[in-house]
Amino acid sequence: MTAAPIPVRYRVGDPVAVLDLGKAGHVRTPFYVRNRRGEIAQFCGYFLNPEALSLGDTSGPLVPLYRVRFAMKDLWPGEARSDRDFLYMEIYDHWLRPAPGPHA
Amino acid sequence: MRGYHDIGGNSAGPIEKIELPWQHWEKQVEAVRNLLGDATRRVLSLDELRLGFESFGADKYQRYSFYRRRLEAMIDTLEKKGLITRDELMEELARVRLEWRDPDACRPPR
Repeated sequence: MTAAPIPVRYRVGDPVAVLDLGKAGHVRTPFYVRNRRGEIAQFCGYFLNPEALSLGDTSGPLVPLYRVRFAMKDLWPGEARSDRDFLYMEIYDHWLRPAPGPHA
Repeated sequence: MRGYHDIGGNSAGPIEKIELPWQHWEKQVEAVRNLLGDATRRVLSLDELRLGFESFGADKYQRYSFYRRRLEAMIDTLEKKGLITRDELMEELARVRLEWRDPDACRPPR
């Protein structure tokens, strides 16, 4: 591992949106959270990108991984959900963008 | 891009809950996978395995159980890396099967 780690871009509470990177191969961000908004709940640490690992590439760099909190009401708008139901998912830095402003 | 395995969020109707106890061969599959992926060997990572069953085709994926998928992807990936061939594996399986059928063959030689 030679490359420097990707810097942490988000802090707990930051609003983010999940990108749809359109990547083929092994990715760990499921379809149903792409283009959805959430907020950073926790920084989980640095990990090698599983997209590279799936091809046997362990050269790095390390990527920050965050636990992102989504309101279930935002994920499944058509369904009756409590305001207190949330889904937490670990998402790598490169799948996120800052998303200030009110939730769509 | 949405892989055939990426089915979270699809409507599924009512889900029947059945207890599925681990079968012995399933534990063996996990044991072999752990040995191949551990820090000293690093022959095959979990992500390589996942890429394997996420790209071996929807038909095969849907036909196989969780551990069978892992097993098939393990064989495919080891073959792709040139570490074993499926023929070698089948020969070895046949040899071991014979040993198990004949208890005398399992005893150490005197």
